[in-house]
Amino acid sequence: MLDRLLDALSRARGDYVEIRAERTWSTTVQYRGRRLETASTSDNEGGAVRVLNRGHGWGSASFNDLDDLSGMLARADELSRAIRLDEPIRLAEVPPQHADVKPDLDGDVRGVTLHEKKSFLEALNAVMLAVDDRVVDTQASYGDEITEHYYVNSDGTQLVETRPQVTLSALATARAGDSIERGLESLGLRCGWHAMQNREAMFQAAAERAVQLLDAPTVRGGAYPVVLDPRLAGVFVHEAFGHLSEADFVYENPQARKMMTLGRRFGGDVLTIGDDGSAAGLRGTLPFDDEGTPTRNTVLVDRGVLVGRLHSRETAAAMGEQPTGNARAISYRHPPIVRMTNTYIGPGSGTFEDLIGDIPLGVYACDAFGGQTYLENFSFTAAYGRMIRDGELAELVKNVVLAGNLFQTLDRIERVAADFQWHQMGGGCGKRGQFPLPVTEGAPHVRIEEALIGGERA
Amino acid sequence: MIDDLLARAGRAGAQAGDAMLRHAETTTLTFEAGRLKAGTVTAERGVNLRVLVDGRVGVAGSTAADPTAVVDAALESARLGETVALTFPEAGPLPAVRTESPATRDASLDALESMGRQLVERLAGEGRQVGITVERETGETRVVNTTGREAAYATTQVAVVAEVTRVAHDDVLIVYDYHLAVDLPAPDELDRLAADIARRLTEAASVVDPPEGALPVVFTPHGLAAVLLPIEQGLHGKAVLQGVSPLADKTGEQVFDPAVTLVDDPLTDGAPASRPVDDEGVASRRLRLIEAGVVRSFVYDLETATRTGCASTGHGARGIFGKPRASYTNLRLESGDRQRADLLAGVRDGLVVDELIGVGQGNVASGAFSHPVALAYRVTNGEVVGRVKDAAVAGNSFELLARVGGVSSEQRWLGTRQLPWVLLEGVSVSAR
Repeated sequence: MLDRLLDALSRARGDYVEIRAERTWSTTVQYRGRRLETASTSDNEGGAVRVLNRGHGWGSASFNDLDDLSGMLARADELSRAIRLDEPIRLAEVPPQHADVKPDLDGDVRGVTLHEKKSFLEALNAVMLAVDDRVVDTQASYGDEITEHYYVNSDGTQLVETRPQVTLSALATARAGDSIERGLESLGLRCGWHAMQNREAMFQAAAERAVQLLDAPTVRGGAYPVVLDPRLAGVFVHEAFGHLSEADFVYENPQARKMMTLGRRFGGDVLTIGDDGSAAGLRGTLPFDDEGTPTRNTVLVDRGVLVGRLHSRETAAAMGEQPTGNARAISYRHPPIVRMTNTYIGPGSGTFEDLIGDIPLGVYACDAFGGQTYLENFSFTAAYGRMIRDGELAELVKNVVLAGNLFQTLDRIERVAADFQWHQMGGGCGKRGQFPLPVTEGAPHVRIEEALIGGERA
Repeated sequence: MIDDLLARAGRAGAQAGDAMLRHAETTTLTFEAGRLKAGTVTAERGVNLRVLVDGRVGVAGSTAADPTAVVDAALESARLGETVALTFPEAGPLPAVRTESPATRDASLDALESMGRQLVERLAGEGRQVGITVERETGETRVVNTTGREAAYATTQVAVVAEVTRVAHDDVLIVYDYHLAVDLPAPDELDRLAADIARRLTEAASVVDPPEGALPVVFTPHGLAAVLLPIEQGLHGKAVLQGVSPLADKTGEQVFDPAVTLVDDPLTDGAPASRPVDDEGVASRRLRLIEAGVVRSFVYDLETATRTGCASTGHGARGIFGKPRASYTNLRLESGDRQRADLLAGVRDGLVVDELIGVGQGNVASGAFSHPVALAYRVTNGEVVGRVKDAAVAGNSFELLARVGGVSSEQRWLGTRQLPWVLLEGVSVSAR
């Protein structure tokens, strides 16, 4: 395959040319309630090319038929030449990379039968159903894939990578009359079959949570001191700051560049934020991004001060900064854009008890159903919450959705505990139609002096 | 080709089956910061095969040039599959509906570019960052089964998406809108798109304090998504089958305000989700889901309908991978008898909600929603007085739609939805 790509590259027109090709073998098994929804294997192959000519725009093409690489390169070149630009697109320098990456798969999923995968998930699904009669519906999902990924560009980079992925998700729905609640747990790893074993506790927890929430009151709306558990704090940093750090938002917008000037203070000394695509053993980790740039740890906020941002080769050149290895594409169907990898809030000091000890009335917001950002304003939806009363955890509450504001919420982070942990969740991040991108989030417990929670007022 | 796959499956032991073949080619032009920067062409092709072996169902998909391996994969899937007495639709006439436009299919790159340029010119302004995508897709779908159904149709679709980001010091405002249809937008449709965005930017020029409490809120077609989502989930056949739809046992009951009528309509000429037949070969038809507040019907695909003991409503949708599931086509909330301006005029103190954050991430099935606002305006004595920020709205869709304050006579298309403006009373608004 690599030879085919190199051959096509050598005959392609264009000042800069890159070719990606992928072949993905994947398995999906899903249970819904007591029934098997599907157990199925797939084979997906395709390629993508991008061409850039000086003084012109990007031309790109994606396709399933790898036999027509030259034709697709010609179409991409044609598209590039059809776009004239007064201010040329430049790409930051990246030394040519050569690698053949074969990670330890920890049990190649291709060696496990579909029958075995089905039985595995059936047992986990049964764990949810056995928790309580009020668990009326479940969705248990197992997914695996192995992608053979090939990348070459006209700067001399040649990469062959095996990219494995396994995901497991547990969603339980409990019902009592018109009251319907759910519990969700998920796991995503860049490993293989062995790493997925012994996950009963995850399925148990999802079902128990759904049942517990049936009797929980809805949180009262208003502004509270809020303590985020590490999982929700991870979603928070992803939405609150990660997306704004993606340089494609700022690089062509003078006002946004001004707002995001390096050296600006966004929070107190307790706040350090970064994105590390090279961290060992995480789902957002890869040795190279989808432009062939090596990944690395990029500190975004150092003790409250903006010190970095996430780049592709194009955004780095436009802003006179270094590429960070954050140009990612979810598959050959899409061009690489600036994305996060493993995003974190660095550890502080003290324990969870220290964080809640002096709060008379507040909310402990836990785990996440999701988050979304409009850059200045964002939401992060907790899976559940506990009221904090007189420094102690009190009753369970539901429908805890936090409203964040970039300039106010970060600045109000007053305490960060020492108990940092990565959360290897399933699902993924969405941006410009590219979903789900494998990412990881990590954080310790974080305390926000005051945050808005939606709902009916007390 | 897919006929051949079904024949192969038959020889390998499948008693029945169906398959879908889909080709699509998409051309996309991307304008960033007001200038055309990238052109992309995407050619996709794939096949999805479902087989029944000894009453068990299996499915597989492939994008490979030679998809014959999909037959073995589908048979392997069926060996593990659940039993289900699927009856595939038979050959027969299909309704007529226009799903393609030669003008869209043949539009030149220059023609697509000029639509983008027209929007850039209309939306450019001090402190505004204009991003436009113009995307044209041509496709072909073919569905065949072992009971003689054979259907094929061609589609065209054009999407024009405009997004304006306005950053002023520490204030960030994002306003977007889009056109999605079989036909190219006429110049006056692009003008209207630009004018709508410009109006929202103007109305959001000043920021005012949000009100608080249980208030009247006018939801725009954009803002309505969060309110309608629980209804869409509740009317989904799968939710009925799984026992998680609060509407399941309410057929024929007056659950909603008489002003609420919801229709799924795959037979509107030129609408983005129109098609003569669904992805399982079932003929398309209009379906009244809620009629004057009374629950009438749910949407089903073949398998969900079979398991529930009813007939497919022609809502089977399938991708290249995975098995068919039920999906809405063009969903229309019928317009009402109040003018949009009239809805606002009656609000003494409340909000217009145009965009919410995190829609779909809450506990949708229960009907509850709670979202920070991305774009909302305060209304005082019937007038929009400015944008509100850092506020959140919450409520329960089932309760709010049981007593609707008013539905506008104006409607607009938003993707595959055709929606009016709706006034709801007693929506919880909280602020810091």
